[in-house]
Amino acid sequence: MTRIPCAVLAASVVTLYAAGPLNIPFKEYKLDNGLRVILSEDHSAPAYSLAITYDVGSRDEKEGRTGFAHLFEHMMFQGSENVGKGEHFSLIDNNGGNFNGTTSEDRTNYFESLPANQLDLGLFLEADRMRALAVTQANLDNQRNAVQEEKRLGHDNQPYGDTMDTVNETAFDNFAYKHSTIGSMEDLNAATLQDVQAFFKRNYAPNNAVLTLVGDFKSEDALAKIKKYFGNIPAQPAPPKPDTSEPEQKGERSKTIRDKFAQVPRIDIAYKAPPSNEQDFVALDVLGDILSTGESSRLYQSLVKEKQQALQVFENSVGHRGPGLIMFIAFVRPGVDPAEIEKSLTAELERVKTEGVTDQELEKIRMSDTRQSIVGLQSSMSRAIQLGQYAVYFNDPNMINTLIEKVQKVTKEDIQRVARQYMVDAHKTVVITLPPEQGGAQK
Amino acid sequence: MTRSTLFLLIPCAVLLAQQPQENDKSISLSQVERKNKAPVSKELLKVKLPKPVEAKLDNGLTVLILENHKLPYISIDLLIEGAGPIDEPAGKAGLAAATAALLTQGTATRTSRQIAEETDLYGAALRANSGFGGNDSEVSVSGLSQTFDKWFALFTDVLLHPSYPDAELKNYRQRALVGLKQQRAQASFLASERFNRAVYGVFPASVVSASPEFLQNMTPADLQKWHDERYVPQNAILGITGDVNPRETIAMLKKSLADWKRSSLEKKLPPSPPVVEQKHVYLVDRPGSVQTNIVIGNIAIDRRSPDYVAMRVTNQILGGGGAARLFMKLREEKGYTYGAYSTFTPLAFAGPWRAFSEVRTDVTEGSMTEFFNELNRIRTDKTPASELEEAKRSIVATFALSLESPSQILQLAITQRRYGLPADYWDTYPEKIAAVTAEDVLRIAKKYINPANAQIVAVGDAAKIKAIMEKYGPVTVYDTSGKEITN
Repeated sequence: MTRIPCAVLAASVVTLYAAGPLNIPFKEYKLDNGLRVILSEDHSAPAYSLAITYDVGSRDEKEGRTGFAHLFEHMMFQGSENVGKGEHFSLIDNNGGNFNGTTSEDRTNYFESLPANQLDLGLFLEADRMRALAVTQANLDNQRNAVQEEKRLGHDNQPYGDTMDTVNETAFDNFAYKHSTIGSMEDLNAATLQDVQAFFKRNYAPNNAVLTLVGDFKSEDALAKIKKYFGNIPAQPAPPKPDTSEPEQKGERSKTIRDKFAQVPRIDIAYKAPPSNEQDFVALDVLGDILSTGESSRLYQSLVKEKQQALQVFENSVGHRGPGLIMFIAFVRPGVDPAEIEKSLTAELERVKTEGVTDQELEKIRMSDTRQSIVGLQSSMSRAIQLGQYAVYFNDPNMINTLIEKVQKVTKEDIQRVARQYMVDAHKTVVITLPPEQGGAQK
Repeated sequence: MTRSTLFLLIPCAVLLAQQPQENDKSISLSQVERKNKAPVSKELLKVKLPKPVEAKLDNGLTVLILENHKLPYISIDLLIEGAGPIDEPAGKAGLAAATAALLTQGTATRTSRQIAEETDLYGAALRANSGFGGNDSEVSVSGLSQTFDKWFALFTDVLLHPSYPDAELKNYRQRALVGLKQQRAQASFLASERFNRAVYGVFPASVVSASPEFLQNMTPADLQKWHDERYVPQNAILGITGDVNPRETIAMLKKSLADWKRSSLEKKLPPSPPVVEQKHVYLVDRPGSVQTNIVIGNIAIDRRSPDYVAMRVTNQILGGGGAARLFMKLREEKGYTYGAYSTFTPLAFAGPWRAFSEVRTDVTEGSMTEFFNELNRIRTDKTPASELEEAKRSIVATFALSLESPSQILQLAITQRRYGLPADYWDTYPEKIAAVTAEDVLRIAKKYINPANAQIVAVGDAAKIKAIMEKYGPVTVYDTSGKEITN
């Protein structure tokens, strides 16, 4: 491999965080080709984790071209110039590593954990496919089929497999978040090799990516290796970033679907929410947690225990870089009309709007959020993933440390205000998923 | 913040499960294409385990403490043997699970709601469960170190003084009955239910869910009795890891668990189940299913078996991950499935090995052929040296990587105590793995992985796959409710 002397790449920004309960240290660098590098040393076990987060997700897809971001996640495991097909799997597996790739609306990431003595291996594998992925017709055909099988498994053959897609389709107007990440099978079938090659060149460029490394290494050694493996990958013109803004929703939307594997009805109630780094989103999420976290929560006590309308109820915060959703999902007790659950939920939200929440409820969520943050940061892999994600989403990797503070800042007044502002019928979408009709058993 | 749901993901490529394709023409590879250009360090990874502090309390409770101050957090696991579903009296399937689930739903001095509120308020999580097929119940609690005293007191209260309120029991009953129905929607549940019955036969681990009759009839007194008789310190191991001081913690335990009295109950097991001798196919008809869940296996070894380490290596080669034979053949080469794996379940008694996959309905036949080819090949052909070495290196490295998690290290210590393994068992584990030879793999495969008596479960659309399955042995067909279909 050619070594390119990289004189300037390492103006380092040292970010240290001391005030809050969390203090994950990291250092930032940028290579000449635009690759952003974040290093976080932790010598407590002989292992490291590496994540590459690409600034491309399904929100970047156009109509008629859906499913590309996710298809690419599969393509990335099919071999590259110096890594044979299947060799990536076997190299990491044989060296005890864990790895995966995931695609969301907002980004695509690839990550691996390996023993500390295999740092070169992980960097080599990621660099080789960033530089020279094997985008061939055979790989495209093969992985297109793989994605279709994944859809069968994850959607078509599972209870409630279409529910979340239906919520997104109904709630969002902007195509960015309206269409499903797994995409349309027709679009995937129509994709040509040229389409896919162009997609790779545009989006899988060093200047459109963030590399995060967490674990048992010395930063200066690691940085030298990163330069060696990634430094000569050429930058590309920056891809355009999509407009994800939503027109104001005017009025409640609802949809009912049938699901052939569902045994009990499910109701999903979603409210439009701001981007996930905004303080209002954090306040909404805290409110969602207050209402639904733990068996002492209002919704569990009211819907599951007292009124016995729901078998289970939980909240799902769909946080995006752009507009998101705050959702409540309930599995309906047989014999109960799902509309009753909607009424009970609305009543609980009205109670928040008029009476607010208590100090104790807020304190409880502060504690459980601190706990969850800590649990979520135990593995080096989760730290690598989060640092990369916050860097790509909001240019703010330190959100890994400060998110807790944003949560702590939420006041009772904020909660009442966001409940009044966002949790209103005009911004609501309701999706009901029913079991198949059988001899009129269902009313 | 609900971090886990903050961003919606489509997790993909590998580890957990699955993938494939429509026709084989588009892929020609029959093996991994190895360019061998990636830099791999051959240096043997040295692994050094932190040693837990151990103590035995006067009441017979074994205590293991692993100090780790990286995060302000403490986790506790209490393992109680002799209190699992396989220890249940006949006709009471679900007793151990119900006793555990309701342990946290009321004590002499706290209501269910108070327990839930206090748990949340202290930033703790409290859970008790008793998994079907096992001989133990487990109570685990974890939380922030700043509130350790408070949540440990709560843990002690539910462990020693559960009250099994009637209202909570009724609530649990109703949810459990619906749960029994709901799990029948999952093909994976139907497959494991049928497989466990097939391999375990009359051995109590054959039961994988509660009996609806027991759920209907159980009383608080049933649960109280099971708790009082079975949750006893002499059969238990208490593991603690995280931001604690061992000496202070042991002193604290002696005081706070003083009321937990030793009894005369011994943990006893029925004789291990035998290998099933006759090949048989169990077909669960799930009309409309677009996939067939295939599980193939039979009884193999228990955790104390001297064959454990060689079995671990053999399984790694056969189906232990994304680089193993089943995955490379069924997913990567044939494109039949999103994933194909094998595992073995070594418990206090002999548990099964199994090879399994979820494949598209129209490739059920091809998948069965490939499964049996691989099961035969590992018994007849000596594993090539490079494949063996890679499998062994993978196991050792996985082991090393697991040391990132303090609770994993604690689990290793608990396993060593529980099964009476030698004190240096884990320190010498990499060497034991390294010593396994290709002859050992052949011997293990011939001894345990026998296609001639394999128990085969297929969950799928019987109209489409029954004729195929009949080629593999006598077929019994069940519906998704678990009833045998005769016609």
